[in-house]
Amino acid sequence: MAPARRILIALWLALLGMPAPASDDALGVLSWGGAYERAQRQALFEPFTEATGMAVEAHRYDGGLEGLRRAVAADEVPWDVIDMTRSEAMAACDEGLLEPLSPDLLAPAPDGTPPAQDFLPDSFGRCAITHTLFATVVAYRRDAFPGRRPTSIADLFDQQRFPGPRALQRTPAVNLEWALLSYRVPEEELYRLLSTPRGLRLALDRLAELDEIRWWEAGDTPPRLLAEGEVVMASGYNGRFFDAMVNRGVPIEILWDGQVQEHETWAIPRGAPHPEAARDFVRFATTTERLAELARRIPYGPARQSAAMQVTTHPEHGLDMRLHIPTHPLNAERAIVKDEAWYARTLSRMRDYFDAWLADTGCAASADTDCPEP
Amino acid sequence: MVRFLGLVLLGAVIGGLAALAAAGFVNAVLWLNETLLISPRSRMMFERPELLVVTTLAVPALGGLVVGALHRAIPERRPHTPADVIAAVQTRRGRLPARAGGLSALTALISLGAGASVGQYGPLVHLGATLGSQGARLLRLGRSEDNITIACGVAAAIATAFSAPLAGIVFAHEVVLRHYALRAFAPIAAAALVGHVIATSVLERGALFHVGSTAIPQAWEFAVFVAIGGLGALVAGAYIRALLGMARLAGHLPLPPVLRPALAGLLLGLVALWVPDILGIGQETLRFATIAGAFTGGELLLVLALKIAATALCLGLGFSGGVFSPALVIGTLFGALCGTLVGVLNGTPQETFVFYAVCGMVAVTAPVIGAPLTSLLIVFELTGNYALTTAALASVTLASPIAAQLFGRSLFDIQLNARGLDLSAGRGRAVLQDTRVAEHLTRECVSLAPTTTVEAAIRALGEARHGEAYLVDADGRYRGCVTLPELEATLQAGGARRPISDRIEAERPVLYPDTSLWDAMARLEEVTGEALAVIDDEGIFQGVVYEARIARAYLRHSDELRREEHGTG
Repeated sequence: MAPARRILIALWLALLGMPAPASDDALGVLSWGGAYERAQRQALFEPFTEATGMAVEAHRYDGGLEGLRRAVAADEVPWDVIDMTRSEAMAACDEGLLEPLSPDLLAPAPDGTPPAQDFLPDSFGRCAITHTLFATVVAYRRDAFPGRRPTSIADLFDQQRFPGPRALQRTPAVNLEWALLSYRVPEEELYRLLSTPRGLRLALDRLAELDEIRWWEAGDTPPRLLAEGEVVMASGYNGRFFDAMVNRGVPIEILWDGQVQEHETWAIPRGAPHPEAARDFVRFATTTERLAELARRIPYGPARQSAAMQVTTHPEHGLDMRLHIPTHPLNAERAIVKDEAWYARTLSRMRDYFDAWLADTGCAASADTDCPEP
Repeated sequence: MVRFLGLVLLGAVIGGLAALAAAGFVNAVLWLNETLLISPRSRMMFERPELLVVTTLAVPALGGLVVGALHRAIPERRPHTPADVIAAVQTRRGRLPARAGGLSALTALISLGAGASVGQYGPLVHLGATLGSQGARLLRLGRSEDNITIACGVAAAIATAFSAPLAGIVFAHEVVLRHYALRAFAPIAAAALVGHVIATSVLERGALFHVGSTAIPQAWEFAVFVAIGGLGALVAGAYIRALLGMARLAGHLPLPPVLRPALAGLLLGLVALWVPDILGIGQETLRFATIAGAFTGGELLLVLALKIAATALCLGLGFSGGVFSPALVIGTLFGALCGTLVGVLNGTPQETFVFYAVCGMVAVTAPVIGAPLTSLLIVFELTGNYALTTAALASVTLASPIAAQLFGRSLFDIQLNARGLDLSAGRGRAVLQDTRVAEHLTRECVSLAPTTTVEAAIRALGEARHGEAYLVDADGRYRGCVTLPELEATLQAGGARRPISDRIEAERPVLYPDTSLWDAMARLEEVTGEALAVIDDEGIFQGVVYEARIARAYLRHSDELRREEHGTG
């Protein structure tokens, strides 16, 4: 197709309000933009183009299935591969928005370990394959507790040894898990126990023991609150804390104990323009080498054990990235994998329960408000 | 030597099979509990909570219906349990039936899956034992080997279910074999080891208990642990009495046995609508009971009482399953109750709460299954915590002997005693109790009509070279026994023409074909004579058993036991 004609078509489509189609010969990848996309470009997209001659065109979204639903319904899917959270991939797969994706297409590890043993447990869904794991963790100000540092997630609730306000996400997820973990409950039983009224009560009792909680909703809030000294401990995404620590020099430290891991997957939408190339891309982007390269640029854990062991230093500032990756054995010793199947069924009920509790304990219902204890 | 190594290898193979079966069983129960909306997780995830009322009532009731129907296919009309395993080994009968064993495992699976308040370890033990016994039968091995392979299956099942190989080995010795022989130890250890290896690779489960490393109880607390042991024995006794009492009561119910489990399921479901903690194996309840503050004192008491009642109801009315898992829950709740009480009296936050819970657990479970060492080892292997094991030791010190004095060595022994097998005097007696005199019955004796004259009787005895004659009338009924000295005395006194029925020896006891060798020996103590007559229920003469035969049988059984228990190869 001539360039001029292509521009014309694009203009015409833009006028009609349709999403711009991917250029015929480029692979369309839908991802999260920002620093994450930059890292993916360097570690995945450019090497893929180099290896196959196929250009990669990155599109940006903020999660959610609305766009995908519309595109599939209109039979105008502009993307070949989508970077999705596992819970959304599960839902999309159930709705028939994704192509089935067999783990058979994956490459073995360099030492020949088959993917089934190399990938972390439950990495293969019906339509999606986990490539990285991100974590919700607790970070604390290094200067807040002279002479001691939190070592266990129970310390989040120990106000005698670690006094000061906390910032927590205004959702039941993660908070309930941590609260129940502080009773020394084994990780394996968390969701079984949270399924009982007694377990929920114990968890909320623990949260209620905290004198001052700042509830956050946007992911950039907890690093800011820590940086400003508003709180001494905060929950948040490990990538954001890494960014604050390394790029902005905020004096914080991550407590890895009890980190709650979530899976980030590759999925191929139904009606993708280049399904074959998309599968090639998924295979390429999930090789041990590529996953390790990605993790050198952004601290998300490779889904392959072989890749987690190969992660080295950041290509620009030379920081040892292994210490910042959720799946590294040192950090993952007591990691919790979020039970997404459980949340898929219970989240709305949990949220009602949690909100009712918040209202009971005297918290305003509006977003990002301080929670004055009665 | 080759034969011995072969037995060890066989033990390992049986251990592997039993472990796979146990792992499959445990996972199947978990799956059923998820699918049938029994587990809290599945209940929470169920999208239409308003329907839970219906499933909570229907699932146990329908499960009971299926169980009741299946039990009709078992000759005894009841599921087989570890008590049957113990009986088979203690009497050296061995040869556990495959069909009844398989059916019992199936009904236990359904019972557990449908949420009945029963245990899963009993069925696992019986399943392992049945597999072991089948192995011995398949290879045409003797009774001694049969007993060892049964113990292998048992050890592997426990090792798999608890991930506790040492507990498996000790349980097989302490509860099933009840003796220690090197010859049995090696195959059992091999079986437990294989079971453990399989368990760690197939079953992924959290430890039953988790204990913070910092907490160490103070010296005075050990005194409390001992007291918990003493009181726990009473709780165990109440539990045992409730189980036996309900089983007796069920016999008087105006309801056919097929429908009884369904009734139990329905009642269980009704109570579970109010207190869901009593449903199923109760792993969540068990965990919460180790957390200080999860239950109030009143709740602990309520759930404790209801769990005892629910388990008695389910097992008494014919659900299939074990008694150990409910005992774990009951004991832990009891321990938590003691811990809560101490906390109230003491007024300090309790770092050592879990110690109380575990002490209560051991104090109740050890007497119920008659296995103090196994209970201790389970605590040790599950927690790896030495302080906790010491506390459990303090508790079990009083629990087991007190319960044994008041109630019996274990629930199994009490049940077997009710079936006529008394294990309190050990295996020698059990073996003799299980051997019937019919095996030693002979017709080689002098039997005469009661009208025979003394003269003729003396002649007949002389020809047969016997000293005693047995009087049998025209209908074949036994009329008594006469001895040669007595007849001679009558002859001397001039009574040659009198009928011998005048000279019947008084007080000579008779035996029945199903009289045990043990009882026969007891009767012999009162008698001087060469043999005892055996009659059937209608008094028809069957033959005699000679005193010498009984003595020889006794010596032979003792010798076999000695070889089995003290031999090395």
